[in-house]
Amino acid sequence: MEGPCNILITGATDGIGLLLAKSYAARGHRVLATGRRALDDHRTYFGVERIVYLQADQQEPVRAAKLIAETAQKLGWENIDVAILNAAIGWAGSPDQEPARSVQNQIAINLTAPVCIAAEIAPWLFAQKGKLVLIGSTAVKGQGSFATYAATKAGLDGLARSLRAEWRGRAAVQIIHPGPTQTDMHKKAGMSVGLARRLFMRPKRVVAAIERAVRSRSKRVVVTRSYAFFASKSKEGRL
Amino acid sequence: MTALVTGAANGLGRAIVERLLDAGHDVTAIDREENGLNALAVEYKGALTVCLCDLADPEAIARTVSSLREPAFDLVILNAGISATGRFEEIPPDAYKKLIDINLQAPILLTTALSRDNRVNKGGKLVYISSLSHAVGYPGAAVYAATKDALAIYARSIRKPFKKNGVGVLTVFPGPIRTDHAELHAPPGAKASKRMAPDVLAGLVLKAISSRKTELYPGGAAAMGRFFGRLMPGLATSAMKRAIYDKLDGNTY
Repeated sequence: MEGPCNILITGATDGIGLLLAKSYAARGHRVLATGRRALDDHRTYFGVERIVYLQADQQEPVRAAKLIAETAQKLGWENIDVAILNAAIGWAGSPDQEPARSVQNQIAINLTAPVCIAAEIAPWLFAQKGKLVLIGSTAVKGQGSFATYAATKAGLDGLARSLRAEWRGRAAVQIIHPGPTQTDMHKKAGMSVGLARRLFMRPKRVVAAIERAVRSRSKRVVVTRSYAFFASKSKEGRL
Repeated sequence: MTALVTGAANGLGRAIVERLLDAGHDVTAIDREENGLNALAVEYKGALTVCLCDLADPEAIARTVSSLREPAFDLVILNAGISATGRFEEIPPDAYKKLIDINLQAPILLTTALSRDNRVNKGGKLVYISSLSHAVGYPGAAVYAATKDALAIYARSIRKPFKKNGVGVLTVFPGPIRTDHAELHAPPGAKASKRMAPDVLAGLVLKAISSRKTELYPGGAAAMGRFFGRLMPGLATSAMKRAIYDKLDGNTY
């Protein structure tokens, strides 16, 4: 199989999703990028051709999933080679103080939306044995100050495990758990990390690591500092 | 002791409520099924408070919590759950939203709403009913499994912070239970006699509550599933696929 791929990336207006979208598009792939925000001029925003932007707010997961499927249809895509479901938000603090609204938004955006999107785009993934990539977090084992966030990521981990078995022979399912990265995630979650931020991985490295993981056949990848370091040295393939 | 139990009208929830009431405790029972709740209320007068609530609705949860008569509870058992079985891509997104809202969002919202106002007593306990699928995976109910994994990790996350407030956390990972709900979702030909009776499970849960346990894999089958799932996770999920997914004859949600 040669030539450009059809790639879906959710949560592509910031952070890791934005870098992934730009990187794949710059290498000639067709990218459908989604985000919560309305962008006036997405060509200027991404600075790369071949990115189609769709505003799909995952706070309404069922609607966002339908919009994505409709857009793939409108674009005339016959298949999706890789779907990277990356969009996520967090809330940091003591779990007995977590506001109901934050609980609801994290569950809708981080878990319900990827579930609904995966179900809606399944026919495109099955068309040419594509790959569903779920972006988790190293918080998947549980974290006191990120309780609901950790739960949603554990949900994705469990989804990947059972869905991989269901989809065997039809489409691949992969889960990638990145460690703390120097994006705005923590700030948006209401957490001041201070100097610890210096210990976080650089977004570029994490993106290279995710791209390497997507190229690999690994079912489950934990992006540690060393994985990211070696990934940045690895050779690029078609993807 | 005062206890709050969700999903109290049927199955494990009902069995737990009955055992608590028989032991002389005060129970608040939450369910969306009016008939089941009324039957309980008729059988047990006085010590039982019933509360009709659709746990898929966050606003209904908030209203219910603020209208609860008990100022605080010693025991909160978050048991309510539904399932959706079938091929992942054939179940409609609306059904998935409801599944996640009831199995995951509701227990978290109840936890935060009660703990924010200090309505769980010191020395009290929060109990989460996850599933043995946390250990072995569940092809044919991939999103159900996801909600139960998420709930298990939520419970693990809050254990330390809640310990500071003197509140304990117990997570239960039951295998198949002999209930109408399980009957509906089991593959054809599955033997009900192999599933654990709700009353037996309720007994094990209450025993674990009075111990210092933080996790309970009730019964021999669950213990074996946990062992097998830890040792050979891939093989365990493949075995689950052959036992359940490959025998599906339709979707139930």
